[in-house]
Parts: sequence; C-alpha cells; structure tokens
Amino acid sequence: MNRSPFARGDFLSGATLTGLGVYIILEARGWDYATPDGPGPGFFPLWYGIAMVILSIVLVASTLARPAPAGEDTGINWREVGNALMAWVALAGCIGLLKLLGFAVSFALLAIFVVAFIYRRPIKTALLVGCIGSLGFHLVFAQALNVNLPVGVLGF
Amino acid sequence: MDILNGLMQGFAVALTPTNLMWCFAGCFLGTVVGIMPGLGPPATIAMLLPLTFQMNPTSAMIMLAGIYYGAKYGGSTTSILLNVPGESSSVVTCLDGYQMARKGRAGAALGIAAIASFIAGTVGVVALMLIAPPLAKFGLAFSSPEYFALMALGLAMVVLLAGESLVKALLAMLVGLWIASMGTDLFTAVSRFTFGNSEMLDGVDFVIVAIGIFALGEVLGNMEKREEPQMLPMPKGLRNLLPTREELKACRFAFVNGSVVGFLIGVLPGAGSTIASFISYGLEKAVSKHPEKFGTGVPEGVAAPEGANNSETGGALVPLLTLGIPGSGTTAILLAALILWGLKPGPLMIQDNPTLFWGLVASMYVGNVMLLVLNLPLVPLFAQILKLPVYALYPLIFGISIIGVYSVSGSLFDTWMLAAFGLLGYAMRKLDYPSAPLILGLVLGDNMERALRQSLMMSQGDLSILWSRPISATMLALTVAILFLPLLRRANAWRVTAIKENG
Amino acid sequence: MKIFREIAFAAALVLTVGPVAAAEFKPSRPIEFIVHTGPGGGADVLARFISQLVDREKLAPVRMQVNNKPGGNGVTAMSYVVEKKGDVHAIAIFTGNWMSNPLLQAEARNTVKDMTAIARLVIEPAVIVVKSDAPYKTLADFIDGAKKAPGQLKQSGGSITARDNVVRQLLMKSTGANWAYISFPGGGERIAALLGGHVTMMVLEPQEAGEHIRSGSMRVLAQVSEKRLPGFPNVPTLKEAGFNVPNVAQVRGVLAPPGLTPEVVAYYEDLFLRVSRSAAWKKYLDENQFEDGFQKSVELSKFFDEYTNQMRGILKEAGAKLVR
Repeated sequence: MNRSPFARGDFLSGATLTGLGVYIILEARGWDYATPDGPGPGFFPLWYGIAMVILSIVLVASTLARPAPAGEDTGINWREVGNALMAWVALAGCIGLLKLLGFAVSFALLAIFVVAFIYRRPIKTALLVGCIGSLGFHLVFAQALNVNLPVGVLGF
Repeated sequence: MDILNGLMQGFAVALTPTNLMWCFAGCFLGTVVGIMPGLGPPATIAMLLPLTFQMNPTSAMIMLAGIYYGAKYGGSTTSILLNVPGESSSVVTCLDGYQMARKGRAGAALGIAAIASFIAGTVGVVALMLIAPPLAKFGLAFSSPEYFALMALGLAMVVLLAGESLVKALLAMLVGLWIASMGTDLFTAVSRFTFGNSEMLDGVDFVIVAIGIFALGEVLGNMEKREEPQMLPMPKGLRNLLPTREELKACRFAFVNGSVVGFLIGVLPGAGSTIASFISYGLEKAVSKHPEKFGTGVPEGVAAPEGANNSETGGALVPLLTLGIPGSGTTAILLAALILWGLKPGPLMIQDNPTLFWGLVASMYVGNVMLLVLNLPLVPLFAQILKLPVYALYPLIFGISIIGVYSVSGSLFDTWMLAAFGLLGYAMRKLDYPSAPLILGLVLGDNMERALRQSLMMSQGDLSILWSRPISATMLALTVAILFLPLLRRANAWRVTAIKENG
Repeated sequence: MKIFREIAFAAALVLTVGPVAAAEFKPSRPIEFIVHTGPGGGADVLARFISQLVDREKLAPVRMQVNNKPGGNGVTAMSYVVEKKGDVHAIAIFTGNWMSNPLLQAEARNTVKDMTAIARLVIEPAVIVVKSDAPYKTLADFIDGAKKAPGQLKQSGGSITARDNVVRQLLMKSTGANWAYISFPGGGERIAALLGGHVTMMVLEPQEAGEHIRSGSMRVLAQVSEKRLPGFPNVPTLKEAGFNVPNVAQVRGVLAPPGLTPEVVAYYEDLFLRVSRSAAWKKYLDENQFEDGFQKSVELSKFFDEYTNQMRGILKEAGAKLVR
C-alpha cells in the first residue's frame, strides 16, 4: 500500500493514534501502577498505551520516509465520502429522534430519507419501504418476540 | 455399559411426546433468538424461567438447553447475510461468511454453518456423555496463569488476522484493548475511561462494537456509491444454494478442529464461545495451505468458528452438570433454574438425578438432528433477503442494528455508542485498518488483563508463574510459534523463489 | 400539549389529595419491577420469582412486569428509579451494591436515601470453606496459617466491595493476620479456583457449598450469620468460633422511587409482607438457604444508614478511594 491517499491517511490516523496513546498513558499514570496485592488498574493501560505510541510513530515515520508520488493525490473521492457521511448523519438523526418519536416513526423517517435522498428513488417507493419496514419490525420484534423498542411521546 | 444403560434410559425420557415437543420448542425458539441480533439465549431463558416452575425439571431443562444450543445455529444467519453478528460467538463467522455471500455463495455458507453446527454439536454431546468427569478435573487445573497463556495465544492470532500491514493490525488490536478496559476495574473498583458517564461503568458491550464496526461500517462503505444495482449476486436454482462437494471437502479439518477446540474451551469456566470461535478460526488459518485466502470467503473460515461455538455448548455443560459451576452467562441462569426447581446442582447431581442428566444428553442428540432438519430448508428462504434492492436492504440493516443493540440493555446511550462505532468502522475501512484485530483485542483484552493480574497476585509479583506451569508453558510456546509463523512462511517463500530463480 | 399536562396535573391532584387517595391505595396498571442486572442475574431471577408468585397467589390486582436496567454496576438502575419520582407503579430490587457503589463511584449521582424504602426481604448468609485436602480444620487454623506466612494464603472472591472481601478485611483487622484476595468476575471461576487448589479459601453461599461438602470436596470452617443455619448445625458462627467481628449482612429487598405518599408505601409494605408470609416464599428461602430478613420501611431506612456507614469504614480500611 504505497499509494499516496493511504500514505496521507496513514499519516493522519497514525498521528491521531499517537495522541490517543499519549492520552491513555496520562490517564493510566493517574491510577495505581502497583498495589500491595499486585498490579493495579494503571498497569495494563500504561503498557498498551506505550505500545500504541511506539507503533503509531512507526506508522507515521514510514509514511514520511516514503515519498508521495506526485499527481496521485486525488485518491479519496470526497463525493463518495460525503454520501457515506450523509447516511451516517441520517442514522444519528434517527437515533436522536428515538426518545421523542419512538422506534417506529424514527425508523420510517430514516428509511424514507435513505431511499428518497441517498438513493434518489421516487418518494412513493420511499414511503413504501419506510412503512413496510417499520411495520415489519414492529410485528417481529415488539409483537412476536416481545422486545421492548423505544417508545416515543405518541405512545408507540 | 453404564453409559449405554444411561443413554437408553435417557432416550426413553427424551423420546416421550411431551419431551420431544419441549425439545422442539426450545430448538425453534433458540434458532429465532439466535437469528435476531442482540437478543440472546441468556435473556430468553431468564424470561421463560417463571413458566418452567410448573414443568417437570427434566422437560424444562431439555427446553432451556434447546434454546442455548439452538441459538448457536441461528447466530450465523445474519452474520453471513448482512454482516451483522447475531450472537457474540458468530462475530468471526462474518469474516468469511459475509465474503462468501458477496461472492454469491450465501446459501452454501449457511449450509456449511448448519452442517458444522450439527457435527460439532453432536461431538460436543458425545464428549459430554463419555468424558465429562475427567474433563471437569482438567478444567480445574486451569487457573489464571493458564488463562493468561490462552489469551496470549488468542492475541497472537492478530498476526494471522492482519491484512497487508502488521503495524495497522496491531494498532487496531491496541484500540480493542483500550475499549476492553473501559468501565469499572474489578480489583479496585476504580472507573477507567468512562468520561464521567455512569452508563459506561460496566464497560462497553461487545455486541455494540461488533455490530457498529462490522455491519454499519460495511453498509456506510457500500453507500458511498449510490448506484449499485444489486449488492450480491444471487444464483438461481436450489443446487447453487447448497454447499458443493469441494466446499465440504475443504471443511473436513475445520469440522474436527471446531468440534475439539470448541469443546475444550467450553469446559473452562473462564473462557466462552466467542474466544473458542476466534481460536479455532486462527488454528484453521494457521494450518491452512492457503492462509492468504482467509477473509475472502473460504468455507473453512465459516465451518471452524461455527463448529466451535456449537461444541462449546456441550463443553460448558460439563462443569455445570458435574460440579455445579457455571462457566458462562447462560449456564449461570441454568444453574439458577436448577436451584429454583429444587434440584441440587453440584458434584452429586448426576448421581442423584440420572434421569435429568441422561434425558438431557439424549435430548441434545435429538435436538441437533431437529436443528439440522429445521435449518437446512430455511437456507433458501433466508437467502431470499439478498434479493431485496440495496436501497431497501441498507435501511433494514440500520434498523436491525439499532434494535439489536437496544434489546441488550434498553439504553438509548448504547444506540449512540453504536452510531459512534459505526463511524469508526467506516473510518477504519477507508483508512485500510483491519477490523478483526480490534474485535479480538476487545474480546481478549479484559480477560487477559484480569488473568495477568490474578496470576501476579497469586505469585506475589513473580512473573515466572506464567511459564513454570506445564499447561501455560505449552500454550505460551505455541504463541511464540504462531508469532514467528509469518516469518517462517516469508523465509520459505523467499527460498522457493530463490530456488526457482537459480534453477 | 399544554392542555394534556393540565389534565394530568389535575388528575394527579385528585389522586394524591382527593377523596380517592384518602381511601386505600391500589395499583391500577401493571407494576414496573426494575432490576439492575440483565436477565438471569441474581436480582433478576428473584424479581421474576416474586412477580410469578404475586401473579399465581393473586396477591395484587395487577401484574408485575420485570424491566431490566443493567449498566454501571446498578448505577443506571438507580438513576432510573430516581427519575421515576412520584410514580406509584414502579418498584425496584436493591442489593448491598446499591449502598456501597455510590461510595466509590463519582459517576453515581444518587444514593438509596434519595429513594423510598419499602421492605427488606432476604439476608444471604455465607460459609467460609477450604478444599477438603487443606490442612485447616477450623478458622483459627487458617488464621494461624496466614500469620505464619503473611500474604501467602489466598482467598478467591468478587469485587472489593463484595461481602467476601468485607469479611476478610474484618477478620484481618481483628486478628492481625494477612492473606491475599484475588478477584474473579464469575461465581463459577471462584469455585473452580478453590477446587483446583489455586486459592486456599473462599466465602461461599451455603446452597452451593452444601453440595460440595456432601460430595467431600470442600470443608466448611465457619458460617457468616447471626445464628447457625439449619443446613450447618455443627459449624460455628464467626462469633462462636471466637472472632468478634460484626456480622455483615448481604441483603436484598425492595425500594421505590422518591416522592410517594404514606398510603402507597403502606400498600407495598403490606404486599411484600404477604409475599414473605407465603409458603412458596418459605420454600424459596429454604432451597437457597437464605434467611428471612423481612423489615418494614422505617427500619429499612435506618438499615440503609447503618449499612452505608459500616461499608464506608470497611472500604476506607481496605484502602479504597471514597467519593462520598
């Protein structure tokens, strides 16, 4: 993998993980490394924190050592990433609505959004998928299996 | 002869119409809860427990055990079809099962999972019947140093699960270890990495991470491209829905491996079916002639973990029935049930209640056959789900994931964590980090830390306790061997090419 | 929306101060039975047993629906109960954890004193056991052994807030002996560690110990209870064995959200009094070798304070960091 988008991704993710490792080490130092009975709660995190810092620095260093070939910088298709992130935001929105609207309505909205706006299908198809999906989940989980699904202010 | 008599007596109990009905009810219910992500056997058994107070304990035990092993059959279904692990023990099945489905072999993967489950499940019962008491003693020889070695052996498999970059695989594993240590420390009650959330005091549920990273990460990755007419090619005709002879042949070793590894790990009170499935997958890959193909949809990669998690059930019943020691969440509830029914679980239970033990054993033979008969015809039915257009399938996976997580704890906080791990899964995919090592670190990290600290408490800080005991020394040696395996392979490959070039 | 709220408020007024409330309180819809473990945990099994008992013996006009609120070692369930303030159709099982965890965990925002005490139900006694091939015949033998080799003997148990460790701390303090405490998350692993000879001693529930003693794999040294248990007539209690340590009760009982009127408390108190008088309950206690620990609301409220103070002292002694 020495295509440049990965190299840049490696650099950024490596740097993030170094940060995480440092954070873990700092937190771990706040807990006992050893207690009279044996190793304390800070023992294990300290060591995997150190390992994380070392390995992530190796990763970052290896991307720096590898010169990025020119002209291949457009490896990440930001439009595609945008699509995925939009789907994720829709999912997060659905989860945010669970408390207010309950599972049935939130899920129907999510499904309608995905079908109509991400996949650009006719709104009729979207409504169909949303309603049938929501009803199906309700029948299978809430009715047949007696699973508690989030209930909103509407009472379902 | 005792065993034969016992078994005859057991079949006489298990084959009465009532018990057959309970056995079927348990197996059927087990399959259903196994298929449903999140909803697992412990919750189901606990909810049915009050209903069993009026039942004959043997019938009740037959039914509850049916739920326990039946769920292991169902667990693979969503792993293979949707990359959503149905049970924690089916996470490993995602690795190759889902890839097989992507290649149009969904039916074959489901079939192999059912066959592996049947073979290993049956082997588990045979072993439970024949060698339970001596094996229970073997389980007792295992203590913290041995568990540490077992977890180290498991973690060493990161080398086998790594993709192109070992450094990235190791980093993913370390993140898994980090997630594993979130929550309250058992030894000191100190809370670690909870960010002030009381919801995180118990740590992060494994199911949330697995569903987020595998299922949501995969779906988000696929949603990048809006126009993908059909996610998975679906071959027509029944023949294409079942495993071919070659595929079954490739699984020969995996059936044995899964059965043995699953059963042995099941006997240990401190290791569960998730660990068993990981280790048998790793073993399968380690001895395979084509390890590089693992993760791209090889049938052995489905057969080994699915076998292991089924024979684990037989193994886990060994300490429960012979010593009254529960090894997992589900067996702990079965223990509670035995007490509530007025039986006395303990070393003398088999002797005092031979009907229950032999009836249960016989019912497990019957149950495994029932499950195979029940599950094989379901394969084409379930495979139909892949005929859904992606724009309908993906929201469905979102919905199943949310329900799966919510049904474990009933907490909205957990669904937020699911979203977070979904994003992490997507990012890992984009940045080319393998997800299996993270899950491996998460499964083993907690146990490993605990075993290490327990060992050092036992030895008062002397590290040599880890390798001065024969079982742990053997496993640590194996660990080292696995760690050096890739080096050997590379050396071998280099030698082969060198010879070719010279020749 | 507003109008709904006003109607609800008016209804609540009628219910609490109107003539309806002056009469005896009766639940009108299913009672939510909150449990801090997942399905299958000890408290969950107890709750399901009680709800089934209430249903079968028709002790209440409505059903009890178990609602699992696991997470945070019980802290999640505790905040949930407090959030239900004024809800007359909710009760929860509490255990000793509900009192000891808030002492150690800053994340816990509520204590049992923020809730309404209903009834204490069960006291779980324990026995101190060793493997049958161990050289110790009495608890004094074990203590002497521990004194001879400080830190060499080991006890397997749960978390440091568990009763196992509390008993150990009290014994170590009163005798000056010292032995190690090794935490295992599951009960099965604790017993396996003892039977495998990896640890020396453990504090075990009598029901489990009974079977191992009957089969000859364990020996019991002493029992942790006020008076001798029917199942162990020949085993001395800690006091009888000459160890003057306070008896640490492992308790389970029922409490309710804050803000309930005395009528509601009286109703639930009476309901659980009737539960604890039933034959099925007696059988349940016998089978598990539990003690009947029934206590009414007022005494239970006092017990909360006593127990919390006792735990605070013991945990401080054990070197744990207290936040309250």
